[in-house]
Amino acid sequence: MSYLHLSFYSAFTLSSLGMAFHRTHLISALLCLECMMLSMYMALAMWPIQMQSTSSTLLPIIMLTFSACEAGTGLALLVASTRTHGSDHLHNFNLLQC
Amino acid sequence: MMEFVLFLGLCFVLGGLGVASNPSPYYGVMGLVVAAVAGCGWLVSLGVSFVSLVLVMVYLGGMLVVFVYSVSLAADPYPESWVDWGVVGYGFGMGLVVMVGLVVGGVLGMVMGEGVLGSEELLSVRLDFSGVAVFYSYGVGLLLIGGWGLLLTLFVVLELVRGLSRGAIRAV
Repeated sequence: MSYLHLSFYSAFTLSSLGMAFHRTHLISALLCLECMMLSMYMALAMWPIQMQSTSSTLLPIIMLTFSACEAGTGLALLVASTRTHGSDHLHNFNLLQC
Repeated sequence: MMEFVLFLGLCFVLGGLGVASNPSPYYGVMGLVVAAVAGCGWLVSLGVSFVSLVLVMVYLGGMLVVFVYSVSLAADPYPESWVDWGVVGYGFGMGLVVMVGLVVGGVLGMVMGEGVLGSEELLSVRLDFSGVAVFYSYGVGLLLIGGWGLLLTLFVVLELVRGLSRGAIRAV
């Protein structure tokens, strides 16, 4: 495994662990999700370099498009939850009330 | 030059660790910015400069800016940075888990070097530009699907934050 693979593999693992063990804020979990998307982008951008196939350069661009969709939806959920519960502290989200 | 690429790779992982240790979101965004900038420099040093530019424009200049504005919802009176013991404990614990996994998997001894795209020939157009140009010729269906998905996301977001009397989550 080259050190490039090692680098984004460990960044992905760290941020997925950070999302699993999030503490206080919902937006910290969303930031860890963004870091996972960033490491996946780096991984997909390595593909045309290593396989020397330039049409695979399309893949990270597509992934970034849908990652932007998902980030926007996550932030809209954050805003809606903060409006209902007063803050984005996760220990307040125990009452499933709309 | 090789050492600079190694340093950028290390900065990428340290930025990821800085986000994963879950400090206050003000500091988490800073870690993500460090990781994104290190990733951009890394992609440039590998030769794919267009992909790096897309990352810095769309990700760092678009998505992370929106995240920074939304972090104002997470206002703490005493924000925890990386010098507080809870965050340091999380950071060490996660780093330890990853290091133990790498040692047990036996990958630390197998680290090799890397090459650059298109370094063996002289071209006036960089290869990754011509790769993404497929998006407009043979990949036009994917372009339309991506654009339609973004438009749909706009309406999803508008519906989620509508509030008051209609919409998915209402203010009580």
